[in-house]
Amino acid sequence: MTAALVRRRALTQTRWNVNHNRSIGRLPLRRSQSTLNHFVASTKLQPISPPPQPRPDARPFRLAVKDNITTEEFPTQCASGILGQHASPFEATIVRQLRARGASVVGKTNMDEFGMGSHSTHSIHGPVRNPLAATGEDVSAGGSSGGSAVAVAVGDADVALGTDTGGSVRLPAAYTGIVGYKPSYGMLSRFGVVPYANSLDTVGLLARDVEPIRKLVFDTGLYEEHDPNDPTSLSVETRQRCSKASSPYLPDLSQLTIGIPVEYNIAELDPSIREAWVATASALESQGARVVPVSLPSTKEALCAYYILAPAEASSNLAKYDGVRYGIRGSEGDAAGETLYSETRGAGFGAEVKRRILLGTYSLSSEAMDNYFIQAQKIRRLIQRDFDRVFKLDNPLYEPRQFDLSEMSSDTALEDKQGPVQVDFLLSPTAPTYPPKLSDIQKRSSVDVYMNDVLTVPASLAGLPAVSVPVKIDQSDQFPAGLQVIAQYWDDRRLLALGDKVMKLMAA
Amino acid sequence: MSRRSLGELSSYLLEGRLSQRGCINGRRLSSRTVPVWPSLRPPNALRRLHTQPEPATTATATAPQASHVPLRKQLKEQAKQAKKQGKKKAKGDSQTADGWELTVGIEIHAQLNTSRKLFSPAATSFNDEPNSHVALFDVAMPGSQPLFQKEALIPAIRAALALNCEIQPVSRFDRKHYFWWDQPSGYQITQFYEPFAKRGHITLLARDGIAVEDGESVTIGIKQVQLEQDTAKTLAQAGSVHWLDFNRVGVPLIEIITEPEIHHPRTAAVLVRKIQLLLSTVDSCVSGMETGGLRADVNVSVRRTDDPSKKLGTRTEIKNLSTIRAVEDAIIAERDRQIQQLEAGGVIAGETRGWTVGSKETRRLRGKEGEVDYRYMPDPDLAPLVIGKDLVQHLQTSLAVLPDTELDKLVDHYGLTPKDALSLITLDNGARVQYFYRVLALLESKLQAEPDIAESPEVKSYATLAGNWILHELGRLTTYKAGPLASGDLSFTQLGECAQVPEEDLSQLLYHLYRKHITGKVAKELLMAVYLGELEGGVLEAIESNDLWFKEISQHEYEALAAAAAEGEDKMLEEFADADRYPRGKLMYLVGKMMRLGPTERIDPATAEKTMKLWIERHHGGPEAARLV
Repeated sequence: MTAALVRRRALTQTRWNVNHNRSIGRLPLRRSQSTLNHFVASTKLQPISPPPQPRPDARPFRLAVKDNITTEEFPTQCASGILGQHASPFEATIVRQLRARGASVVGKTNMDEFGMGSHSTHSIHGPVRNPLAATGEDVSAGGSSGGSAVAVAVGDADVALGTDTGGSVRLPAAYTGIVGYKPSYGMLSRFGVVPYANSLDTVGLLARDVEPIRKLVFDTGLYEEHDPNDPTSLSVETRQRCSKASSPYLPDLSQLTIGIPVEYNIAELDPSIREAWVATASALESQGARVVPVSLPSTKEALCAYYILAPAEASSNLAKYDGVRYGIRGSEGDAAGETLYSETRGAGFGAEVKRRILLGTYSLSSEAMDNYFIQAQKIRRLIQRDFDRVFKLDNPLYEPRQFDLSEMSSDTALEDKQGPVQVDFLLSPTAPTYPPKLSDIQKRSSVDVYMNDVLTVPASLAGLPAVSVPVKIDQSDQFPAGLQVIAQYWDDRRLLALGDKVMKLMAA
Repeated sequence: MSRRSLGELSSYLLEGRLSQRGCINGRRLSSRTVPVWPSLRPPNALRRLHTQPEPATTATATAPQASHVPLRKQLKEQAKQAKKQGKKKAKGDSQTADGWELTVGIEIHAQLNTSRKLFSPAATSFNDEPNSHVALFDVAMPGSQPLFQKEALIPAIRAALALNCEIQPVSRFDRKHYFWWDQPSGYQITQFYEPFAKRGHITLLARDGIAVEDGESVTIGIKQVQLEQDTAKTLAQAGSVHWLDFNRVGVPLIEIITEPEIHHPRTAAVLVRKIQLLLSTVDSCVSGMETGGLRADVNVSVRRTDDPSKKLGTRTEIKNLSTIRAVEDAIIAERDRQIQQLEAGGVIAGETRGWTVGSKETRRLRGKEGEVDYRYMPDPDLAPLVIGKDLVQHLQTSLAVLPDTELDKLVDHYGLTPKDALSLITLDNGARVQYFYRVLALLESKLQAEPDIAESPEVKSYATLAGNWILHELGRLTTYKAGPLASGDLSFTQLGECAQVPEEDLSQLLYHLYRKHITGKVAKELLMAVYLGELEGGVLEAIESNDLWFKEISQHEYEALAAAAAEGEDKMLEEFADADRYPRGKLMYLVGKMMRLGPTERIDPATAEKTMKLWIERHHGGPEAARLV
């Protein structure tokens, strides 16, 4: 029976796996030889469809694309053995949108397999290295969009596309000293993004400054474009309604209230990162902004909820890689136990992916569903409510909500008789520490590594926009600190403006 | 009574487009013709399950003069007969097992009649070139996403309404995970936690053929109806090679789950058949069981009738029953196996079993330990499905008349026999009965347009005539070896139009026949000519130009012929006076003699018979004769 199944695969493969016919030569060797290992060496393909019509406002720029976003000119492998040389028959909407705006794709970037990781080390291509590290030192570039961050940091690309599920754009941006932007969920199309956890995945952009990102997303109207191919892409009407809910312009700092979420001041926070956080808050305050502490009490549950929900969705999304259509079937039949796929999946996936598939499979099983998956979904709601409670703006996706004081913790300081203070933005570090050495990461348990996402995960769970900008207090420091600004849903434009302001303020 | 086509409804409800049919393109034939598959199949399938004997004579056109027996009485008679018959047959015995109660719940999967897949715009197809209708999402191409096709809602909601379900304002899609090669994404998208329809019911009547033990009628609850995706089709090749055809993957299905409230195997089979009929009546389902459009899984358990706890026994599931016959046979076999097991002191393992058509035993497929944990998870790419009240309301009011209601009307109002009525409804996916209504409407208007006849004739008299012709004479056309022009099959559009025998021609012909302007023989010849396309100027012109008018002899001449025919038959005529039973055969002999003696083409057999009967009564008396006239 198994032999028959192996043969059966051939039928479907010839139809879709056409990469061999499309190969038109190797990429320049420079990249695959780079010690930073940020680009994925791959065979360039003959595109199937004509390039998108350039827009009148198109300005040429170099774009690096994370390897879990489909491109017609390059294979899309997600740093996984199971998608080896997968030639996607279609290009992601976001890539086509950017190509129409002048982007030329310079290559696909290395990453954690299927986006699962925080250091871009779980890759079939080997780990990405941080360009800021001293010579001879192998330091994490952050993940999972590490390759994209490095491509921008070293100037191989002007803008890079990444994906952010729990911090995968913001974290590498922080580690490599660039800007990483995770838009509101549903703003940028995910069509063509190989999903890790659909309800959290967002396409993100990385650049050395905020300006190129802001220009692309807002000046060229990217944020207004609905993609009919992505069922989670907001409709044009909803986009317009959301846009009306907030002002497109950032007012003078004196009219802004910036919240400092007290739960983000964790014990594990590196003292000098805390120092950068304080310095930035002080600088904003000195410019007239009102800086206040706020409480987001569900924060401490966020990481747990994230590591239940994301692996659950991942275990489902990755079920398709079974060796029948994707993945190479081994020579051994899986006849034992009448399973057909374990060999393919065992050989094709890396250790971290397998770990998360197992985690997710367990939390979705009938015995664990109620205690894990359902509970985590409830926490997710609470986290979102936390944010809605502290932001001045209402979440445009919901009817305005009333928050009962009795629901808040008793030590919440009241602003006036209306309730506690509400803020325009939240300011926090992006990562608790500076980028660790690769050798140190290997010594850590996977749970310790997951800890790294503690500050980025809440915004992902709530679908909120966030941007990480580099801040260096002492120019002699080797690494900058990444500071994260979080805004209410669809307040992306003001978020980027504030990010830009923070960067300029701290650079001065 | 006319049914609104699904496509028309869909474009109106979902895109706000009004149908063009009916005004501008008034009489244009709808381009979509109904597949002719049911023209033979359902009657066969029905016949298999009918327990009453089938009188060979029902097909002949004796209905007009048959005295009318009230429907209820007739049904009772049939049930009585069925009971008698059932006792004789081996199968009748198998409906119950002494000391045991059987409990059955059924899951029915039906392919929805819609043009696109559930989550991709790829076309649904039946026997097209393999792998020719496949969208990226259908093969789970990395980076592709599901796009719900709202068209699927129309047939799905209609099906749920036909099953008396409550349509849920909000329902959701879940992923059901299991690995199988015919399922590219590793999960099926279905509605596990919140299905779109709940709490329905279906009533099965004695005339549907339920087990005698269930009496006049039985109502079975429908737990829920859910939308889900079909899997790819596996095509077995020589030498243990299998090919996959992804045309079917993602095709919209509904799964109908009944409550475990069925206690007799035949009733279970009848339920499946009736659901099939309902689905086809409301145009929700593309094809019947035999063509693979409908599949049933049955859950079977037994318990001792004297068990005080009344707890249901452990159930087993028999998967993938593909014929109505298999449903009944598999349930009987599985029930008997469970009883045998329990009587031998064993226990029933909760397991999945299979059934091969024609076999006598179910076979174990996999046990509980091999059962998959489907790990149902809400699909994070799919928004909740919100169904507006207005949509449900519109579909409810435009719902086709359900078979039971329609059957009642055909029998009570139009005077058809239940059997003929059922055939009309079932044939051609419901198109035949639409054709009947069309012909009848025209016939009616012709009858009413007669200025010189004050009283309009009784509906039943001409409706039964039309029914007979549309069922039996039309059916005969295709069995004639009528020469090279015979196309072999009649095809009807969903609206009941038939290009081969236009309703205008048939109604014209029936009008003249009814009014005795032509004889039955002439009418049959005309019908054949219409079918073969030999009439250029229509029925009326053909009658005129060939002088086919029936010039009936006078009543006086009839009586003279009756007297002539009776001459020398004294011995036979005596029998009419004495017989306990009316010697109908002898009467027909005398009528035949009348026809031979007189100018056959000018004699109406019915009038001849009536005259003969009266003549005998007058001259020889007889108890029966008086009643029959």
